[in-house]
Amino acid sequence: MKTVKAGPYLTAAGLFALMAAAPFVIKPYHLNMLTEIIIFALYAVSYNLLLGYAGLLSFGHAMFFGMGAFSVAVGLIHIPGLGLGEVILLALAVATLTGLAAGLLLLRHKGSYFALLTLAFNALFYAVATKWHEITGGDDGLSITRPDLNLGFTSLPMASLENFYYFTLVVVGLIILFCWYFTKTAMGQSVLMMRENEERMKFLGYNTNVNRLILFTFTGALAGVAGAFYTLHFQFCSQSAISIDMTTTVLLMTFVGGTGTFMGPVLGAFVFIILQNYLSDITDRWPLFMGLIFIFMVLFVPGGLSQLAGKIKDLVVGKKEGAAALSAQGGNHE
Amino acid sequence: MSEYLKIDDIHKDFSGLKVLTGINLTIAQRERHAVIGPNGAGKTTLFNIISGKFRPSRGAILFKGTDISRKPPHVLNRHGLSRSFQITNIFQDLSVFDNVLSGVRSKYGLKYHFFRRPDRDRRIVEEVRALVEEVGLKEVMHLPASALSYGQQRALEIAIALSTSPELILLDEPTAGMTREETAQCIRMIDRVIADRTLLIIEHDMDVVFSLADRISVLHYGTIIATGRPEEIRNDQRVKDAYLGEG
Repeated sequence: MKTVKAGPYLTAAGLFALMAAAPFVIKPYHLNMLTEIIIFALYAVSYNLLLGYAGLLSFGHAMFFGMGAFSVAVGLIHIPGLGLGEVILLALAVATLTGLAAGLLLLRHKGSYFALLTLAFNALFYAVATKWHEITGGDDGLSITRPDLNLGFTSLPMASLENFYYFTLVVVGLIILFCWYFTKTAMGQSVLMMRENEERMKFLGYNTNVNRLILFTFTGALAGVAGAFYTLHFQFCSQSAISIDMTTTVLLMTFVGGTGTFMGPVLGAFVFIILQNYLSDITDRWPLFMGLIFIFMVLFVPGGLSQLAGKIKDLVVGKKEGAAALSAQGGNHE
Repeated sequence: MSEYLKIDDIHKDFSGLKVLTGINLTIAQRERHAVIGPNGAGKTTLFNIISGKFRPSRGAILFKGTDISRKPPHVLNRHGLSRSFQITNIFQDLSVFDNVLSGVRSKYGLKYHFFRRPDRDRRIVEEVRALVEEVGLKEVMHLPASALSYGQQRALEIAIALSTSPELILLDEPTAGMTREETAQCIRMIDRVIADRTLLIIEHDMDVVFSLADRISVLHYGTIIATGRPEEIRNDQRVKDAYLGEG
């Protein structure tokens, strides 16, 4: 990335401007979908920091998403006068603590042990969410009303879809941008080293357990924020937010988009949400088709849509430039 | 300081298999000490214990007077100890620059920072460049490590070991698998980069040993059968019987 310093920021600014124009162009139904896409993009990006960057396969990411989602619902119901910003911070705090606690218990385990333990943890959280009816609403779920955004001098009504869309775009968009920056920072690069060669890291003075704990907590916190926006978006939260299905969802998005690049999961979230919406309009058996698409992707396009896009770009722009860009990046994770 | 590194009665059993049976060795500061011995003598096991990968079954390792024998590798690295590996152990998908950067930024405590970019720190970048140049990898600095030739990867292995600026460095067969010329070149490079650090080196190549080391220890079946200056070792009858005579 050293050769094109402004590139990613220009891309981000362009995307941002495009998305800011969306409410003037598209129908409310699609704006709803776009809000959902932004939220799930953060969820998928946070998951890919674990899977793609650190090489850690977790089946428990929904527990953080769900903890964020439930924190918002429970917080708004039980704490009167809680503001929009406050409730998101509450969700962030709860998800961070969950990540820290789960991380402390899990960090010594690796590979399939780690994966299975995260699955067990997620199942435990799901069971609690289902059984603890007084707090979580159990099967009925919890309905809330989005609080307005208090800006000090004025208050922005969040009942309006447009306003909530802009709020999501700015807050979640900036967090995703920070995640991209994070991959370049000392900690982000340490995450890459962990995937590459954890043993050598130890001999260079890195405590890889601390490394893994920090990453696990961080990605948990990010997923928690995504979960918080999920509840705010639907003004509803049920135990499905913390279910294994929610983990499968993020796994599918990340795989379909591609774990090899930062933008892969964003693309994955985009395609997934759109497909899910249209397929569920056509047939009740949409999960079957989603599954088939997933199998097809894993078998034939293991690098995901982002790899496919890269190949198409190479064909159009010409192989040479693509190869030059690759060597200029010198094995960076993009 | 005469007892810079003191290896005191180190034993290592692997579920009954006695690999090391009482290693005693004292190394002075700035000494260049080679450990030789036939395959399976326990040389790498000894390195793994000194560098914190394994814990000894018995005994102690005193580094500047402190027992370090049960400390993990990352703590030992902060004490000023670093090692290379017999089997190339680098970050294959990272560039040469990033490989060396990993150690340099660790030394400056830039390991877990969420906001600072190590590649934007001029002091760190300069140091990485200098080290890459010193081991002769300047031309391939931005290539992924996996794209390097075997000899270059071995040079990178040494550069990574040096990247945390250790005062005691352990090299495990740095010239393993190299051609004659590569070996000669590598020895010159090691001689230059070690400067006045303390070196402990495992080596099979006798040319390397006799040209680099001040003192040599011969390890045979888990114990040191002789320690001395190169010419003493060359003329030692036990060593001839156990090792040199074979080759």
